[in-house]
Amino acid sequence: MKTTLPSEITLTLPNAPGFVQKALQYMYSNMQALIAIILSAISVYYFFMYLNNGLGLSYNDARSHLDIGRRVVEGLKPGLAQLGSVWLPLQHLLMVPLIWNDWMWHSGFAGAVWNMISFVGTGLVINALLTRLRVGVVGRLTGVFVFAANLNILYLQSTAMTELLLLFTMTMGCYYLLIWHTEDTILDLIKSAFWIMLATLVRYDGWFLLGLSGLLVMRQVWIRHAKNDGWNVAWSRMEGITILFASLAALGVFGWFAWNQLIFGDALYFALGPFSAHAQQLVMEEAGALPTKYNFWLSLKVYFYALLYNSYTLPALLATIGAIVLWRDRTLAQFTSWGMLALLAPLLFNVLALFLGFSVIYVQGISGDTWFNIRYGVMLAPTIAILIGYLVDRAHAFRLLTIGSLLFVLFFAFANEDSVSIDDARVGSSQKNVSEVSGYLNTHASREKGFILISAASHDAIIFSSGLPMKRFIHEGTGLYWENALALPDRWAKWIVMRTYDDNDLTWKGVSKSSGFQYYNKVAAYPFADVYELQASMSGQLNTEPILGKQK
Amino acid sequence: MKIKLFYYNTIVDLLLILLAAGILTACLRGNIGNPTPADLQEKLWTNDGPLELSPERGRFALTYSLIEDNSLSFSVPIARFAIPDLGYKNGKYVSLFAPGVSFIVAPGYIIGRYFGISQAGTNVVIVLFALANAILIYRILRRISIDQTSARLAALIFLFASPAFNYAVTLYQHHISTFLLLGSVYLLLTRTSWTAYAVIWFLIALSIPVDYPNLFLMLPIAFWALNNTLRITTTMQGNILRISMLKLFSISAVLLPLGFFLWFNNASYGNPMQFSGTVATVKAIDQNGKPTAPENASITDREKYINPEKQQKSASNFFRSRALVNGLFILLFSPDRGLLYFAPFILLVIPGLLVAYRLASHLTVIMLSIIGINILLYSMWGDPWGGWAFGPRYLIPTCAFASLLLGMILSQWRGRLLYTLAFIIIISFSILVNTAGALTSSANPPRIEVLNLEKLSGREEKYTFERNIDMLREGRSKSILYNAVFKQSITAWGYYKIITGIIISTAIILTILTLYKSKLRL
Repeated sequence: MKTTLPSEITLTLPNAPGFVQKALQYMYSNMQALIAIILSAISVYYFFMYLNNGLGLSYNDARSHLDIGRRVVEGLKPGLAQLGSVWLPLQHLLMVPLIWNDWMWHSGFAGAVWNMISFVGTGLVINALLTRLRVGVVGRLTGVFVFAANLNILYLQSTAMTELLLLFTMTMGCYYLLIWHTEDTILDLIKSAFWIMLATLVRYDGWFLLGLSGLLVMRQVWIRHAKNDGWNVAWSRMEGITILFASLAALGVFGWFAWNQLIFGDALYFALGPFSAHAQQLVMEEAGALPTKYNFWLSLKVYFYALLYNSYTLPALLATIGAIVLWRDRTLAQFTSWGMLALLAPLLFNVLALFLGFSVIYVQGISGDTWFNIRYGVMLAPTIAILIGYLVDRAHAFRLLTIGSLLFVLFFAFANEDSVSIDDARVGSSQKNVSEVSGYLNTHASREKGFILISAASHDAIIFSSGLPMKRFIHEGTGLYWENALALPDRWAKWIVMRTYDDNDLTWKGVSKSSGFQYYNKVAAYPFADVYELQASMSGQLNTEPILGKQK
Repeated sequence: MKIKLFYYNTIVDLLLILLAAGILTACLRGNIGNPTPADLQEKLWTNDGPLELSPERGRFALTYSLIEDNSLSFSVPIARFAIPDLGYKNGKYVSLFAPGVSFIVAPGYIIGRYFGISQAGTNVVIVLFALANAILIYRILRRISIDQTSARLAALIFLFASPAFNYAVTLYQHHISTFLLLGSVYLLLTRTSWTAYAVIWFLIALSIPVDYPNLFLMLPIAFWALNNTLRITTTMQGNILRISMLKLFSISAVLLPLGFFLWFNNASYGNPMQFSGTVATVKAIDQNGKPTAPENASITDREKYINPEKQQKSASNFFRSRALVNGLFILLFSPDRGLLYFAPFILLVIPGLLVAYRLASHLTVIMLSIIGINILLYSMWGDPWGGWAFGPRYLIPTCAFASLLLGMILSQWRGRLLYTLAFIIIISFSILVNTAGALTSSANPPRIEVLNLEKLSGREEKYTFERNIDMLREGRSKSILYNAVFKQSITAWGYYKIITGIIISTAIILTILTLYKSKLRL
């Protein structure tokens, strides 16, 4: 008997068992919770991964941020004044409840935890915003995936930097601004103002968003009312709503001016003071290290390279297509496209900041052979994710191609462990390997009494990496201790850590002129600083306890 | 009337095939003679001859060893010839390239040897693949009801107005890879039998030993074939899965090429899973026939050259996402390799993509997928320039599928006078550029190497197609026909002008024919 292979088999696929269907239905209706759980697990995994492989605090700035937070609760002169003026205060304020714990300080968790929450929060707001754009589940999940499957983002959420907190607050602000654009509900405008206010207290990028969103609010009110209600009504409506928006959104900015006036006696101290970015950039400009200043094309090129390197290029290109499709989409609610414009604020801000010389980014191969601040390229990560999610939804026949090509590139990104932000922290100009000098301090000062005189402005990373309590250090923020130690170092400092012959180091600048400096021996010399120790014969009159009590 | 038209079209097709074959033969690179290992050390066969670059030498070396020495490993003279892309495994010199091309061109070598042109015989095989590709482009377009003139033009554009021309007359893998892609697409469009699917799966698997990255380029085609094999439809009764058993069985056709591939790896490298790209590299051989360090090797690298076994290579590092920015620029926009410089007809495709999509949506998506993967893959490749090369050689499959799209667009935009004018100008430029490459050399340096090269040579070194134009003006061509027959009677420049004249005239005549019976408008 001859048997032949049937040419076709037809199978009726059984429906999934009831509990599976229920589970799927539950997951679908609780998408936000599901995303939150998955992103939280990823967040925690990557935090511990970078903590354990020693990369967690590679950024010099991460250690400085943690020290600022720590000085608020511990040190010779603890208090809110320690927030200083170099960086905006929100990240440091948020650290305060946790930073008292030594593990949370030295692991960076006190700072990273807010970035981890921001990472999860940004994923959720991307999903929510895409839902507003009537994007289906595939597009929404793709958007969240593109945001999360980025080693630059995963690294920055695992360290005590400020980028993720900024991304979260800005995206939240944009999200509510979009809702207000489409639904005209005043509560959403207030929510937007609140989140933008928070963004203005994280990084100056938020200030630009404040300006741009203010303009968008004005335009929107004018468009809504000018045609139907006349110019006078439109003008008064615009005035009223803009004031309402700005009174909350700009609160942080005015608060920062007030803080600077109160603490430093100059409302513009943060912008023009000796530790400001402006002052640093003047030094760089004198050294010819600010090539983008007043060079628009180079500014544009440098920022685009930072953006492409941080996004793995293809997502940024697809997002551009997404932006064009979105702008031409007539099926979306009225004013959606304009509401989405706020998401482009980081692009405009960064190019402008480079052009005006307020910011500096080095891209290897374009600006010499190093990286610096290349992480600023992640600022558009939520925007890219949203636009890709939208594109995938609208791509129809090209959906598989779009998702496939993204997976293709991201696969290699993870296989190569491609992260420019980590490279910048590890081998670029954003790193500062102070292990030698901090190791010396730890070995020699941990078992002996006595203060260490050091400039936090120059050597915060050494303070952090030494592993010693903050109260062992006399620095610029310790008031009378600092003033006394500069005048009479031999009475106050058992060790001095500074860059010899460098007047930019405030310790050297003060101590080198004092008579007490002759009683110190240089006991160690390292690339970033030298260590001086007081001669044993002079230790009799040395103060080793914080005897000045509570200072104002 | 219909029969008359049929004969007319058949004659035109045959004439065009003969013309294309004639032009390719006129440009075929080679020397007269069957080279011996000693000959292959001479510049006449290497730098100044048809085997000027290491990809050609490496593949020819394997063919030569297979046929002359009956061996998969190289003798010392052949190993010296294959340098700098020479592998070393278990004390033997081996090929650093995927083996498929060397095996496929072996019949050409044997037949060529009979006529005293063994090396040119291998290149003739590539010419045949190039012709087959042009015919496949024509056939695919006809299959989707594109008019004959547009289809003919598209085929000619691929063959003569893209870097495919240069790589049709020399020993590279690109035309074979393109053939496997186009052949699979053609079969999927025209055949539904399980035997056809067996051939498709065979071609998909065969593409891997031809060039490893083909695995990725073939993915859209594999998905398409799989989708036709396993069909899910939603009905009132629920989801129904229809499995074509014979088509499913046809997937087993992959075993033959994969079996060959594993056998080759095992026989050459002692490990069936070892890719040739991950084998240790030898850059120089000493007088005793042992690996040594090249003169310019740094102190840190000397050890790994003298003891190649100590080299560590990983397949996952071949592609780097960070290289994408630079790679895209190099492959698309740079003057030394950019697609826009060497195949500017791509500019005529971009504005008409929507037209192509409306005409054949499924096919357009597949073709764009292959183009996308091709561009992305080689932009992430560590060397997007393809070493010393003429144009973006890795993007020849992209040129083929872009030609298909152009054929579709042409058929819809016939009669648009401005588009036609732009078409003629761009195509003429492309033909001028690519014929110069085909008649001379693929050895154009990447821009980044030029400064060092100028220091060594003491003269200006060009890195665009101007380098090829200069060679023609200096009377240099690597065409076997020119050097053997016409050199005494005509200059290389004159030869170039005749060939470009023929191709451009043909293209213009075909373009004018597209206007026939079409509604003229701006």
